[in-house]
Amino acid sequence: MGSVAVAAGCSAKSEDNLFTMVQATEDMVVGQESWYASTCRECPAGCGVLAKNREGRIIKLEGNGLHPVNRGSLCIRGQAALQGLYNPDRLWMPQLKTEKGWQEIPFDKAEALIRQKAGAAVNRGSGRISMVTETVGRTQLDLFATVLQTFKSPPPVVFEPLAYESLKFAHQQLFGDPVLPVLHMDRADVLLGFGADFLETWLSPVEYARKFKSMHQLNDGRKGVFIQVSPFQSLTGANADRWIGCRPGTEAAVIMGLVRLVIDDANGRQVNRSLRDALAGVTEAYTPEAVARLSGVSVEDQAVVGRQLLAAKRPLVLGTGAGSDGGHAVAAEVAALFLNLALDPELSLFDFNNRHRVEIADRRSTVLDAFDAMDEKSVELVLINNVNPVFSIPGGNRIAKILSDKKRFVVAFSNFMDETAALADLIVPVQLALETWDAYESNSTTMATLQPTMGKITQAPALGDLLLNLLPPEKRPAADYQALVTRSVLAGQGSQTAAAWLKTIQKGGRFSDDSTTGGSPKANLRAAATLKTCLTALPEPEVGDVLMAPPSIRFFDGRGANRPWLAEIPDTLTQIAWQTPALVHPDRMAAGGIKDGDRVVLETHAGEIEVPVYAYAGVFPGTVVVPAGLGHTTFGRWARGQGVNPLSVLDPSVNADAGAPSFATPLISMAITGTRMSLATTSGSRVSLGRKIALSMAIERIGHKDGHKEPGLTMDTFPLTPPTPEGYDPERDLYPPHDHDGYRWAMIVDMDRCIGCTACVAACYAENNLGIVGEERIIEGREMAWLQIQRYQDPADMARVTFLPMMCQHCDNAPCEAVCPVYAPHHSKEGLNNQIYNRCIGTRFCAQNCPYKVRRFNWFDWQWPKPLQMQLNPNVTVRSKGVMEKCSFCIQRIKAAHNTAKNEKRAIRDGEVVPACAQTCPTGALTFGSLMDPASRVSQLIKDPRAYQVMGYLNTKPAVIYLKKVTQIV
Amino acid sequence: MEILITSFSLLTLAVIAILIGTRGRPMRFITAFGETLAHVWQNRGPLFWVSACVVLVLGFLFFFYASPATRIGAAQPIPFSHRLHAGHKAIECRFCHSYVDKSINPGLPPVEKCLYCHNYIIANHPEIRKEHNYFNSDTPTPWVKVYKLPEHVLFNHERHIKREIACESCHDEVREMDRLKGKRFQMGFCIQCHREKKVNLGCWLACHS
Repeated sequence: MGSVAVAAGCSAKSEDNLFTMVQATEDMVVGQESWYASTCRECPAGCGVLAKNREGRIIKLEGNGLHPVNRGSLCIRGQAALQGLYNPDRLWMPQLKTEKGWQEIPFDKAEALIRQKAGAAVNRGSGRISMVTETVGRTQLDLFATVLQTFKSPPPVVFEPLAYESLKFAHQQLFGDPVLPVLHMDRADVLLGFGADFLETWLSPVEYARKFKSMHQLNDGRKGVFIQVSPFQSLTGANADRWIGCRPGTEAAVIMGLVRLVIDDANGRQVNRSLRDALAGVTEAYTPEAVARLSGVSVEDQAVVGRQLLAAKRPLVLGTGAGSDGGHAVAAEVAALFLNLALDPELSLFDFNNRHRVEIADRRSTVLDAFDAMDEKSVELVLINNVNPVFSIPGGNRIAKILSDKKRFVVAFSNFMDETAALADLIVPVQLALETWDAYESNSTTMATLQPTMGKITQAPALGDLLLNLLPPEKRPAADYQALVTRSVLAGQGSQTAAAWLKTIQKGGRFSDDSTTGGSPKANLRAAATLKTCLTALPEPEVGDVLMAPPSIRFFDGRGANRPWLAEIPDTLTQIAWQTPALVHPDRMAAGGIKDGDRVVLETHAGEIEVPVYAYAGVFPGTVVVPAGLGHTTFGRWARGQGVNPLSVLDPSVNADAGAPSFATPLISMAITGTRMSLATTSGSRVSLGRKIALSMAIERIGHKDGHKEPGLTMDTFPLTPPTPEGYDPERDLYPPHDHDGYRWAMIVDMDRCIGCTACVAACYAENNLGIVGEERIIEGREMAWLQIQRYQDPADMARVTFLPMMCQHCDNAPCEAVCPVYAPHHSKEGLNNQIYNRCIGTRFCAQNCPYKVRRFNWFDWQWPKPLQMQLNPNVTVRSKGVMEKCSFCIQRIKAAHNTAKNEKRAIRDGEVVPACAQTCPTGALTFGSLMDPASRVSQLIKDPRAYQVMGYLNTKPAVIYLKKVTQIV
Repeated sequence: MEILITSFSLLTLAVIAILIGTRGRPMRFITAFGETLAHVWQNRGPLFWVSACVVLVLGFLFFFYASPATRIGAAQPIPFSHRLHAGHKAIECRFCHSYVDKSINPGLPPVEKCLYCHNYIIANHPEIRKEHNYFNSDTPTPWVKVYKLPEHVLFNHERHIKREIACESCHDEVREMDRLKGKRFQMGFCIQCHREKKVNLGCWLACHS
């Protein structure tokens, strides 16, 4: 693959040379993409990806439809994995720390250095080498252990910032093993969460987003119920039918109140007698009144939740999220499992045979002990594989001190100069997931494979090969890492032939059709005693302010901060990009005299941070939420100095029982500094100001005649007007109807399915070569996103949110078309509103006249620092300064479908054109097709009683038809 | 072009000489011919310098715009001749540009494809040695682009070949060219043909995106 040359790149200036390949790769046709199946390793969930390779470089990632975890979708972080691969701040050569600073050395020298240091360490005794790694597949983990064993050292410590210690502890207490079973959330009818952010970071977000929407979709006029009780709503809670705020750290009390209710429910479900006996002494104290006093959840609200649970056929209770605090989370997880047991003794929605890979991660206490032991056991060589504990562990200074001790040699296998790598003595870049051979068990029934999806752009070796080379030749389990992977993948399947191997990597792994539900292990009810000790050990909940630092959907634990798409795409709930705001309840702000954008100093026992405040009704009053992820001191041009790292002021201690860290800590003070900061928000308003923008309807009103109004011309009575000749009415139309030639492309956006995860936005950035404008430009209102997820709060209850994906509406009566002096917005035969870039002279009249505000002007020539330009889609023009641009409905994909259809002498089939946004949506909220085909899905969905057009009363006849969000009173 | 430039320069010189010889009254060239010649001879110094300047300027213009090099296109890293390969040897276009009927790009032959033949044919010719060097050092050949389209245009070869548009209709008779002259395609060229054939004129649907 080294011979693969890169053909003409993408820039405003065309290339002068055409490069030929030296040897033709048989699967590459220039101008056409080839797809390679691999596995995303941006988080431990391990979704399957298909990498789109054009002329030897990957330009887009899409989900692998065969992979059981994500079934063809990807999240925002998965989409942005390419910006890790092509990151201009990637290290290309090993860096050796010398007195004069970093010195580049060749790879063979780096390898020799490691071998020499390892040899020296092992000569001085056993246990002198220590390794800390991210969650990896079994093949790699076994290899690590083998290598370390050869050097008489213990196996590696698996560090994962979000390691679900409390959930694993709960499972260990009840079922004997610290496991993380996959949940059949899709089969539940009532879902009760206590903070588990399963749509953002929890265990496997894409998988649970799909499963959640499967239980929460409208089906025969009914849908499942989701209630969230938590101190911070988060995106997951914003998708709940009801979010109930509770005081931080009192989730366990609320759950115990519910356990009491379920056990005592005389006429309700059969509760196992032994369970009732086991919990007899534990639940009594949790009367509704006591719980209300403790948690702030009113008696009525508790009754509502209890009623739903008791009425449910297949209820499922989820515990706290990753961003919860230690001891409270442990008690809450144990209590939640008991509640599940009380509701469903069979635990039929838990799949104990299929478990998430992240369960192999060591608990936080083990990780901290490993670092402490480096001092005690005089460890001389530390190997760190792609983790950043200095940033993501509270009290990272202590780890920094241990690592920077001159006595030991620290090797960081990292592609970026992050906080931990900066302290290492030697940084060795290794191949990233998309460049290497590997295998990863996304869950215990899946063997997902990784393969190089493109030619090498660095000289870096695979980590597996580097470690194999450390072994003496006779002890190597395989000649190279690829052979080792091949062997370990084939070991689990019947056919061992080369063809079988090819078939496996072509599919992206070996997937079992569906996991067998082999029943759950018997619960050990003596765990009730543990529950009791956990509960009694809990301190009184804080009366003062509490700081919470949950992981974020965009940056996870902070590893995504150097991908500019993730920083540029605003957080859905706050619509703030590039910055770290503190979310404070409006009541608390009023009490403290704080306004939006005021900078405050948050002081905890571990230190203080200064952040701007943003009012957010979805937090319990007195809770201050500062999302984690930003605030790096190094880590490349986009991460350094951007935002604030709240993890640095969290309590570094861990819970004694589960070894779980705390993501919440009491605030000593929140003081206004007197300075203000402009928030980089893309939102003009929190509410839709009474206009028909983001509509919802109550579930019981579906199918009813919507009021008794005659169709008219007012905002409330304007009928749905399709962007087809049928939508033409000479009474109110000035221009004649467009005659559409064969197709009239349209999109249906089901707002009831949209969870606001912004994966579609990242897919759009990747597909359409959108520029990154940065924080300042966003403050100036010059963002470039073609597709935005807008959020509108309900003025009656600001904690209720509706998400509205907003892109060019491709109106049939487009206001932009009429005002352009040079006719640059052009209405095509297929109904698309085309922006002709080379015709545009930049008057911006069109943006001014667009009621949807979806047109974006290029104020500058945006930069793609090398090698980021390799990601650019060659089928899409890179727009230059002075040109207007906007959503094109992925015209390049429509053209590709035309091409295939013409070759096969047929019409384009429904579903053949899938724009990038619709392709990646985990919940299937977006449907694309032609309205000229009466059988197409869009033609069917437009008849849905929920269908409406955003501000359709302007008679713009948008081709994007929205389906109202369905609300249910719980 | 050369004749045009030469005659223009001679004419200019003659006019200048006449104007000087007749002191700005050109009709006296006919009425007082001898006097004109005498004046010309008197002013032979300035006249020489003027003619030298005219020749230099026109010579520069000639070599810049109309030198023989501009007619045969850019020099390539290896002097490959389409006349020889496609014309004389009658190698089918698709042998080298093999993706032309299945992709937007026609594709250039990989270095190894040249050597299919040139391992046997004039394998030791100095220019072919260059090709061998590219192959042996694993370096792509940096061919110079001669047919240029602006970056915001996506031309799909496959569609045009499937409609049986001959290669020559855009690329001219490459079978008669040693070095390709190339073209800088303009929109009018595309539109004209699309109009005549009554095919797709949609901006995005046809060419841009």
